[in-house]
Amino acid sequence: MKGQIQVIGCKSCTEIPQLIDMNKLIEKASTMDLVVSTVLVGAVCDSKSIKQVVQEAKEREVDRVVVLACPKKVVNPALLAAFKKAKVNEFLVEYVNIRDEVVLPHMDDPPRAQAKAETMMVAALQKVMGLKPLETLKEQMRTRNVVVLGGGASGRKAAETAAKTGAHTIIIEKGTKSFKAPGVLMQNSVLLKSKGYGGNFVLTIRAGEKVEELQCAAIVVATGGGWTRLNGPLAKACKSALPLYELDEQIRAGKKMEGPIVIVDSPDPAGKSMQVRDYAWDESLELAIELKRRSTDSDITIVFQEMRAFGLSELRYKEAAELGVRFIRYDATGIPKIDPKEPNVVSVKDLAQGETIRLRFGTLAFASIPANDDNEGIADTLRIPMSPDGGIRHGSIQRGPVSTPRPGIFICGSALFPKTKDIAEEEGMVAGELAGEFASKGIIEYGGSVAEVTQEKCSACLTCIRTCPYEAPFIGIANKAEIRTQACQGCGMCVGICPSKAIELRNCTDDIIMQETKTMLRGDF
Amino acid sequence: MTPRRPKIVGFCCERHGLDSPVAAAKSGITYDASVRIIDVPCTGRVDGLHILKALEDGADAVFVLGCLEKNCYYDTGSIEGRKRVEHVRSMLEEAGIEKERVEMFNTSSTMTWRFPEIVSKMCDVVNRLGPLGKEGDEQ
Repeated sequence: MKGQIQVIGCKSCTEIPQLIDMNKLIEKASTMDLVVSTVLVGAVCDSKSIKQVVQEAKEREVDRVVVLACPKKVVNPALLAAFKKAKVNEFLVEYVNIRDEVVLPHMDDPPRAQAKAETMMVAALQKVMGLKPLETLKEQMRTRNVVVLGGGASGRKAAETAAKTGAHTIIIEKGTKSFKAPGVLMQNSVLLKSKGYGGNFVLTIRAGEKVEELQCAAIVVATGGGWTRLNGPLAKACKSALPLYELDEQIRAGKKMEGPIVIVDSPDPAGKSMQVRDYAWDESLELAIELKRRSTDSDITIVFQEMRAFGLSELRYKEAAELGVRFIRYDATGIPKIDPKEPNVVSVKDLAQGETIRLRFGTLAFASIPANDDNEGIADTLRIPMSPDGGIRHGSIQRGPVSTPRPGIFICGSALFPKTKDIAEEEGMVAGELAGEFASKGIIEYGGSVAEVTQEKCSACLTCIRTCPYEAPFIGIANKAEIRTQACQGCGMCVGICPSKAIELRNCTDDIIMQETKTMLRGDF
Repeated sequence: MTPRRPKIVGFCCERHGLDSPVAAAKSGITYDASVRIIDVPCTGRVDGLHILKALEDGADAVFVLGCLEKNCYYDTGSIEGRKRVEHVRSMLEEAGIEKERVEMFNTSSTMTWRFPEIVSKMCDVVNRLGPLGKEGDEQ
């Protein structure tokens, strides 16, 4: 590599030239070794300036660039695209964030800020010489399938939205639910195994008696809450009790329920600390109103500790009370109990009256949304993390609203934490949209700044395999670790932990980091 | 002669760790200029070697700044980072160096006050413990 560096100074933000002397900085840059061109532009995000800068770069045959401007995320991506056309590798462009790291925070001490900016520039010049040109590679996705795990409210919505983006959707439903949905609906099927990475997953699914392999580009996890099995003393004492959603389905199907109807928040009402999954939901209010509207003489009581009814659904309280729905609130001192000898009477201490009330019921329903028991198995199969309360955990918020830490896997609905049907549907829409978009890209871009193993040094201790959250390292044919480049996200966790220092992160080697630290410490500011 | 200014090295992860000083700058908070930000892709990339080398090269204090542990972009990165930092701290204690000089912090990109707070905390540590190494020892 020749090593001809161009330094670009940007004075776009009006504060920069007032607080530090950009001309002096650029002058200093021009005296440094290997710097062949220095440009000071009004605004580097401006298309005119980009043209000027790239023209200069072409004339001087520049191959490395240092940009003194804003953070990398903020600078116009058109600059990088223009440099790509001028045959400058995009990984050889180094950004120095002088605006947010020097100028603005140190505006009360301009001489120190000037010295700091100079040191940062020198460090960047040294760093850019250590960088190597890298390439990003592309791989075709084998299919455009989007697999939706679960056929509940959010799963159905996710499949509908994903289908609109042009993806082929496959819903994997544990039970025998049958409904209209685009694509394929696989009933009685369970996810057994998964391998691959975002874009090219291979899932092993048991459908009925058969076991088959399914390729897909993206996965939406919409397993929902765990209504299927009720756990807790109340559910044990009263065998005929049913979850709220089943009661809702039966009523909407026209079945006449035996009165009086009592809705209790949780089958395991606890004096212990409350969690969201023990709350009653505003859907119980809606159901009570619906029942009252059908026949005014129906007797409905809602027994709850905490009710989650936010926004406009709070008005449902008033509406329900006006229609004659009875509300009984309790707290940890008097939780509802059912004597097994009398399985159709629930006794609870009313918080308002301070007295124990005995309620005779014909139908008992539970309004809370417990965590799904299947979550653990699914999280284990897909290698996504779980939250401590039994749900599946979100990825970082910077990755997107309904994402998991693994790219290509999205999550929605009560699988995350309990939520009402309409919110779960909204989330399903978002997850479906994102999954569909992910699948319709058709190509996976990978490579760039990823980890690399020097096989002679590797002692196959498996530390990297245990550490990586993306399953990128694996033991290859030579009994040494290798990196699956498509899965590598370039975090460098395996690099830091490798005891034999056999793994290296491209363009972020130990030497580069330590050299940068040394240069920064040499500056006097 | 002016007293020697503290030299503080901050290894910041490219995600929330580097967004934090940007958020502080945007909200107009100023802080001590003696902090040197080194960007790493993730705090899991930080090796004990980098921290020790920084102390050897003349840093008085080193901090590692990553995402919040439950909101890490690379899922377990900031937890890994904390493990390394704790390891370095125990090594420093054995070597007779105050372990307060090395610290791990977590932040998110919306916590504008966090970065200046960290810098002033590390400056306080250096002011209290004095510069690392011999008196008048200049790098």
